Amino acid sequence: MKFVKALQESIENHSDHNALCINRKFYTYHDFAIEISKIRNAIANTVEDAEKLIGLVTNDDLQTYASILALWLEGKAYVPVNPSTPIERNSKVFELTETRYVIDSSETSIYKDYKVIASGALDTTDINLKPKDVSGDQLAYILFTSGTTGLPKGVPITFDNVNALVNAIDAEPEFNLVPSDRCLQMFELTFDFSVVTYLFPFLSGSCIYTIPKGAIKYFYIFKLIKEQKLTVLTMVPSIINYLRPYFPEINAPDVRYCSFGGGALHSDIAKEWSECLPNCKIFNYYGPTEFTVYSGFYPYHKETHQKAHNGIIAIGTPQEDTLYLVVNEHNEEVPVNVTGELCLGGPQITPGYWKNEERNTQSFFVREENGKKQRYYKTGDLCFKDEEGDFLYVGRADFQVKIRGYRVELAEVEFHAKAKSERKVNMVALDITNALGNAELGLAIESEEFDTEEIFSYMKTKMPDYMIPGHVRFIKEFPHSINGKINRKGLRTYFDIN
Amino acid sequence: MGKEEILAKVKEAFVSVLEHDNFQLADETTADDVDGWESVTHMMIISEVEKSFGIKFKLMDLMNMNNVGDLIRTIESEL
Repeated sequence: MKFVKALQESIENHSDHNALCINRKFYTYHDFAIEISKIRNAIANTVEDAEKLIGLVTNDDLQTYASILALWLEGKAYVPVNPSTPIERNSKVFELTETRYVIDSSETSIYKDYKVIASGALDTTDINLKPKDVSGDQLAYILFTSGTTGLPKGVPITFDNVNALVNAIDAEPEFNLVPSDRCLQMFELTFDFSVVTYLFPFLSGSCIYTIPKGAIKYFYIFKLIKEQKLTVLTMVPSIINYLRPYFPEINAPDVRYCSFGGGALHSDIAKEWSECLPNCKIFNYYGPTEFTVYSGFYPYHKETHQKAHNGIIAIGTPQEDTLYLVVNEHNEEVPVNVTGELCLGGPQITPGYWKNEERNTQSFFVREENGKKQRYYKTGDLCFKDEEGDFLYVGRADFQVKIRGYRVELAEVEFHAKAKSERKVNMVALDITNALGNAELGLAIESEEFDTEEIFSYMKTKMPDYMIPGHVRFIKEFPHSINGKINRKGLRTYFDIN
Repeated sequence: MGKEEILAKVKEAFVSVLEHDNFQLADETTADDVDGWESVTHMMIISEVEKSFGIKFKLMDLMNMNNVGDLIRTIESEL
């Protein structure tokens, strides 16, 4: 596999460079190579060849990053689970993927029902970074996102998918990392955006800077920018929404690139932010987990490139080998300037949701193009293409919302909220915009006030913290629209959170 | 304004953002000790504290704030 081979070469060629900075401690590519080799050796000695999907507890440490590389060198996939997510949900993930082995760097692992590889306590071995041959349709990782039925939804990504992503970014002349780059890696490894924030720096011999668990991430990021003079930032837009009151105090001339993704980037804040980064190129990336992180970008510039619709910066054009198609409800292409659902085709497309035929029938379709069958993924995002060929984002077609960059199905929140409630009352989860312009979750309950502690402690065992509503309102009678549907807009007015 | 008074007003800000009062605030209290106090709610608490005291924190101070004691000291220096 080309990109795994390229990782090997980069690690070997940059052995005296820093690879990671974790909690103020630096590790070189040589340190990294030692750790990768130890873990790889343990995998080869304990895990059968046929066992391909290996659990990974995503601690913020050298071993966790080394485990990803070790698994790839061995031709296996990582199934990441966040240690702060309830074990019940994480076990559900392992049950769905039939995972039996878990790599865990924690001092004591709570995954007692699995065969644990304790990556923090392995014996030293010789460095061995030579990749095993792997077929491109084998999986490189599976990530789970919020699903509507209360079960997390698995998105498998193959080695070919990742390779196509690397090819597309390599083909982009505007973005070139160099070994002296210092790159922000602010994402949980269960979040697909993290793939680009570790993979591209490692391929270039650059250094990544992580955020310790428990740190106030907005201020920690600023601290890294200021004290470590970061040169490459990759962020979700909510980060700068929270930092916005402090923009006048931020001046970061060292930053060369700032990439956004995972949510709508608004033009007013993009302009103000670009004033803080006087020497920086800003990229507004678009792409769903189902299409291996990125599918394309718009090169924002506060003077020359500021195309936007309803204040949301354009998502631009598809990258190398990727096709964008805007369709109506019959999956037929609509003309320029007409809004429809954006569909993506090309080599980065997932083989399909993990063991979920029903969703796969809904979300993917095949279209005959120039005598060739082209498979497309329906993103659920409403977009249109303008005369210049740029794509512009309009909104979501369903009840999925973005909370801090994470995709949340409101139906899943409602499902778990209702599941343990003795009172059979109506509950509606809503996204509410706070004073800083970010979405927060609210739960509207159609009832007289009652104690919700039991409901919330149950939800906390079922869902990660970003899916737990931060605001609750009791409303005696929900407002309804003329056709009898619950008026969600009306419900939002009860949440005066600012 | 005395420290007690500052602490009381700070607690109000926490309660208003976190929507519960199931916690004690002392100098050494950190985000780990209070249910719901994390990155996002921290930002909301800071903005609530700024509003209620009529002050504006500097990013440099916020960057090095590690517990409630640091928060109180920074408020005192701004008053």
